Amino acid sequence: MSMHTGVRMKLASRGLRAGLVGAAVLGALALGTAADAAAQVRMTSPPQSQAVAITGATIHTVANGTIESGTIVFEGGVITAVGADVPVPAGAQVVDGTGKHIYPGLIDAYSTVGIEEIGSVAVSNDSRELGDFNPNIRAEIGVNAESRHIGTTRTSGVLVTLTTPGGGLVAGMSSAMNMEGWTWEEMSLKSMAALNVNWPNPRAGGRFFFGGGGAQERPSYSDQVQELKDFFAEARAYRDARAASEPTRSDSRYEAMIPVLDGEVPVVVAADGITEINDAITWSVEEGVDIVIRGGADAIHVADRLVANDIPVILTSTMSPPGRSYEGYDGAYSRAARLHDAGVRFAISGGAGALYTNRLPWEAGVAVAFGLPEEEAIRAVTQAPAEMMGIGDRVGTLEPGKDATLLVTTGNPLDMMNDIEQMYIQGRELDSMDIHRWFFEKYMAKIAQLRIVM
Amino acid sequence: MRTLSVLLGLSRRPLVGLPLAGLLLAGLLPAGLQAQQATRTDPIEGIRDNSTGFHALTNARVVVEPGRVLNDATVVIRNGIIQSVGSGSAPAGARVWDLSGQTVYPGFIDAHADLGMSEVPEGGDVGPTHWNPQVRAWYHTGSTLTDDSDRRAALRSQGFGAALAVPKQGLFRGSAAVVDLSDDGVRQRILRPSIVQAISFDRSNQLGGGYPNSPMGVIALMEQTFMDADWYIRAWDAYEQSGRAFLPPETSAALQALEPVVQGQQPVIFETDSEEEYLRASRLADVYGLDAWYRGSGLEYRLIDVIADRTEPLIIPLDFPDAPDVGDAEAAINASYAQLRHWYLAPTSPGQLADAGVEFAITSDGLSSINEFLPNLRVAVARGLDAEAALAALTTTPARYLGIENTHGTIAQGKVANLVVTEGDLFTEQATVRDVWVEGRVYGVTRPPQVDPRGTWRIASDDEWGFDAVVRIEGPFNRLRGYVDIPEGSPVRFDGIRLDLASAETVTETGNIKFSFDASELGYQGFIQMSGAVDGEEVYLTATMPNGAYPEFSGTRTETVEADARGTVAIDVPEIDLPFIRPMMEFGVESMPEQPAAVVVRNATVWTQGPEGRLENADLLVENGVVSQVGQNLSAPSGAVEIDGTGRHVTPGLIDPHIHSGTSGTNESGFAIVPEVQMGDVITHNNIWAYRQAAGGLTTAMIKHGSANPIGGENVIVKMRWGALPEEMRFDTDTRTVKFALGENPKRRQGRYPDTRMGVQEIIRDHFRAARDYEAEWNAWEATGEGIPPRRDLRMEAILDILGQELLISSHGYRQDEFLALVRLAEEFDFRVQTLQHGVEAYKIAPELAASGVAAVVWSDWGAFKLEAYDNTIYNARILMEAGVVTSLHSDNSAIASRMNWEAGKLLRTGLTEEQALSTVTSQAAQAIAIDDRVGSLEAGKDADFVIWSANPLSQFTRAEQTWIDGRPFFTLEQDAELRDRIERERNLLIQAILQSGGGE
Repeated sequence: MSMHTGVRMKLASRGLRAGLVGAAVLGALALGTAADAAAQVRMTSPPQSQAVAITGATIHTVANGTIESGTIVFEGGVITAVGADVPVPAGAQVVDGTGKHIYPGLIDAYSTVGIEEIGSVAVSNDSRELGDFNPNIRAEIGVNAESRHIGTTRTSGVLVTLTTPGGGLVAGMSSAMNMEGWTWEEMSLKSMAALNVNWPNPRAGGRFFFGGGGAQERPSYSDQVQELKDFFAEARAYRDARAASEPTRSDSRYEAMIPVLDGEVPVVVAADGITEINDAITWSVEEGVDIVIRGGADAIHVADRLVANDIPVILTSTMSPPGRSYEGYDGAYSRAARLHDAGVRFAISGGAGALYTNRLPWEAGVAVAFGLPEEEAIRAVTQAPAEMMGIGDRVGTLEPGKDATLLVTTGNPLDMMNDIEQMYIQGRELDSMDIHRWFFEKYMAKIAQLRIVM
Repeated sequence: MRTLSVLLGLSRRPLVGLPLAGLLLAGLLPAGLQAQQATRTDPIEGIRDNSTGFHALTNARVVVEPGRVLNDATVVIRNGIIQSVGSGSAPAGARVWDLSGQTVYPGFIDAHADLGMSEVPEGGDVGPTHWNPQVRAWYHTGSTLTDDSDRRAALRSQGFGAALAVPKQGLFRGSAAVVDLSDDGVRQRILRPSIVQAISFDRSNQLGGGYPNSPMGVIALMEQTFMDADWYIRAWDAYEQSGRAFLPPETSAALQALEPVVQGQQPVIFETDSEEEYLRASRLADVYGLDAWYRGSGLEYRLIDVIADRTEPLIIPLDFPDAPDVGDAEAAINASYAQLRHWYLAPTSPGQLADAGVEFAITSDGLSSINEFLPNLRVAVARGLDAEAALAALTTTPARYLGIENTHGTIAQGKVANLVVTEGDLFTEQATVRDVWVEGRVYGVTRPPQVDPRGTWRIASDDEWGFDAVVRIEGPFNRLRGYVDIPEGSPVRFDGIRLDLASAETVTETGNIKFSFDASELGYQGFIQMSGAVDGEEVYLTATMPNGAYPEFSGTRTETVEADARGTVAIDVPEIDLPFIRPMMEFGVESMPEQPAAVVVRNATVWTQGPEGRLENADLLVENGVVSQVGQNLSAPSGAVEIDGTGRHVTPGLIDPHIHSGTSGTNESGFAIVPEVQMGDVITHNNIWAYRQAAGGLTTAMIKHGSANPIGGENVIVKMRWGALPEEMRFDTDTRTVKFALGENPKRRQGRYPDTRMGVQEIIRDHFRAARDYEAEWNAWEATGEGIPPRRDLRMEAILDILGQELLISSHGYRQDEFLALVRLAEEFDFRVQTLQHGVEAYKIAPELAASGVAAVVWSDWGAFKLEAYDNTIYNARILMEAGVVTSLHSDNSAIASRMNWEAGKLLRTGLTEEQALSTVTSQAAQAIAIDDRVGSLEAGKDADFVIWSANPLSQFTRAEQTWIDGRPFFTLEQDAELRDRIERERNLLIQAILQSGGGE
């Protein structure tokens, strides 16, 4: 695995190279690394062909506690064994994990990686389709496998994102994407992971939605809620008519709704305020659909009802400013801990789009600084989002039968004090090179060249 | 004389201070005003109106001045002048007004009235006025006085008889005239023309002009204009004294008009919209030696301690906010503590000022409707303003401000007959203004009810749909209420029903009565309305029935109601003890934290970020706000505050060289080049982020101008001294920096040069050259003294400071090309760029920056939000440091500035050591903006700015526990908890107060 040498060397001893070695040595080093990197950058790994056993590591299974000095074995992309006394299969590549920690790959339940590239360059973004009702829009097919953000996302430890379209009342389907692959097809873990509903804003002068011609003000709150109800009712009528073999013309939007109405695809409802969350819950009970609240800034004020209905919450930004001036400076930081204390199920998402999905670890880590137990913070970016988004059978915990999508670290990956040393998606070890590191190697070489000249 | 002055106001040399002879005579010799016809210039048309103008107001309670009341007095008026006040009876020949039961006050004077007369002329101002359309100092309200009779009538209805008509357009708005509020012609109404120059901080967009479009640009323009006015005098003097030997300076009616202002001969009145604007105006007045008056904002209660000692004229509005919406739980949760407090405290502001011994006048200006004036005045009195003080603020005080105290403000022999006649005590009861007299002419405001219908009436009807009933009417005249009883045995079978009146009123014009009630309980769908005449103790009514019948009723009064005509003003909020806090918002504090003589933190991990490195089990000793020693087992002076730092980490206070919170504006984009603009002029202390940032360990930050300009404004460095006034937040350093901006932001303003990166560099170069030319012209004039003296140009002087490395460049930009070009441009002019900021591509020119001594201020991980930010790398800081560039992190974001330790922590994953990582938010941050002589490390002699952390500050799991600035604890977790308790307690009390007062929604 020589291609990761550069990274490990860096991590082995921190500090400026100039301060550690002479200029000439530095030059040679940097040049060598850059040449190395040129051959590797953005290289996609082949499927796992050889069993791998990582031994002697602290394994954070999330599902079944933490195993000190344990071994994890995976083969054909799938975990086959996890435990303290697990035999290493014959022919397996053995990785010494002594002193290392193994965590499930992190999952961002709400991101736009792959469908957004440069914020202010509209043509580089595919996150918002026209129209209010787009259940047939699926994020996965717009995912650009060469997006720079895919590499920087995975080197932060986020190995799966729920790439999600926005806009309108029914925004479309999130797709669960592995953060590596030659094509979106290879990357896709689940095509229709969740339907996204943007709950209208009940407060006056509320949210503007974006259509083709720019910002447009919506009809009244109650009108919008009624539109949503009507859409679901029409979809249900369509499904029933089709089931009864009634002669109907096809409708792409209603067709896409059938698995939702059949309870196969969860509905994620974006809602932050008390009224929105309450009304969304009432609506979900009427419709008989399972919902997940996304946003949840004021979820703590509706906690009892969320618990009573077993409705989970995706917190979209634990690092946002406090919602109100009188809240403490930690108003958002402590949100997760308060929900945890209230018994609400929740996940933590970056919520910041493609550009900063690599900050997900910090979004979860800050909750630890403000009261959330460490293991719960890990759960909020692994098992919890996996289960909410219907991919809990594949990722989110380290258990036999699940994908070998995991991190080898020097400690809790939610703390910048620790490093991520290796990443595996479905058993294949990933390249640590990303665009950030590529520029690093290139411009370190420039420094070295100039120093040699001088 | 008045007309002459009006004309002179536009000439180059107005006769400043010319005594207004006519009015002075009026004061001394009231008879002088009698010969009106001989002093008027307009010819007689038609038949003359020669009413006698001879009135006697008798049997009145007369408040002749604040604190002096005559009962049963007579006021005699002749030809507009009060001839006598006293106990005598009406003289023969006078028209007698029996004011039994009524009160007479001196007519009110509004010292800042909006008389709506300054419409902007179509096509804009013409003539040699000023290059900037917002500078209209040449304008004066007297010259455009119009017959705005509605506005005058509205002011009169609130008791006003005279006012200062203040112009309302522009920044320098022109001068204000004192006018009376009679319906005389415009030439008769002016009492004093052009007595004060009006200045506002709010530009009028309809006047046009791109610059200034920010609060700090406004102040920069004001300062330049004051200087220009001074120059204008000297320039013209030089021209005249030369015998007109060369071409004259420019002609500017605006600068001309400001001459008496900058010479301190004419006052200015600043219209302020906030307590910060008051402080800014006050600073300008000090710097430029202005005789300043202030139109307050209604937020004076936030500055009581500052204003208490001031004697400058202060004119306050009675703009009291509606209660915040607490109509349901979510609304109550959303209500801000600052708004709740403001709702409660704003009505106490006048009373607080009076209690603090501040003299002030009260204006009707600033209200959404002028009809709110008297109700709000009564609220102010109910909430603590002494009624006498209120009257003084409306009469004697404004009269003195406006220089009409010899003729106005009290009821005395020889004074102008401006009077307010009321029923009831105007300040404490639901009183009614009946008449307002202006210069001896009466203007009716309301008429009294001519009958008193209150009492119990037994009525009956002979008509088909009639019935017997007992009607009860009670309550004050302006809010009559009552009920109708249908007694047993009535022809219709509604025994024992009592129906509340839905409405009841006396019809003032005729003295009649009408009332209505819901008749649904009587089996009708709708209301029964009864109206008719009260005739002594008898009443005759006609009913309008829902069934279309009109039965007649008659009856007699069986009982009268002995009641006050008016209710007193109720204080409809409970007493809540809200301590004075600063800022007056969430987490505001009652005082700044004390500075102990000595503080020692013991047994901590101390990151000095200086040559001593990181010390384990070490102590930090600070004395008198300065670091004294770092080391192990330090001996501290007796009485030192001891803090156990076991298990804790101590670092220098964090520094962010680029934030935008903490000022009232960000971008002055009116011109491409604006270095004269100063962010330090508009620091605001009403900034919750300062507290949150201190809570995250930030102690020092540079608040930057925005990025709309190749050369932007001067930045300001502040410390997070929560609880201080704006000026006290400023970091007292000699270091000055100016914002430059390259790339997409400065070039994207459509229609303004530049539009390319090349153009950005060229306009900067051209201005560098212009400043050198400016310098050369000054040098030449100083050597010879010939010609017109040059003018001080704040923009050029700022650029000279840039060229002289006294105003350090702190340039926004992203790409390597534009940065390199700026570095080279500076070198072409023999100076150095101090910092590049953002610098997403700074790593690409790291060796070049190192060689040129340019520091880099970069993000930890921002990128790709726009095209020029696409090549970001989290290794940026590392590469720069490898090349030897002084490298700092910055946030450019209020929230991120509150967690710079974690920003530094992110760099650990690029391979930096912990101390290297922390240096990017401490020592290197200080070096980058040239304040490392004072802050950035814990070394003896440096400012005692430090943070105590729960653990390693670079860990995502760590939080700040205490933040000290200048040896004062501005944030501690303990105090934070106390403040949260106080906020919760007060919020609850205030929300309950709103619910109790019925103002829920």
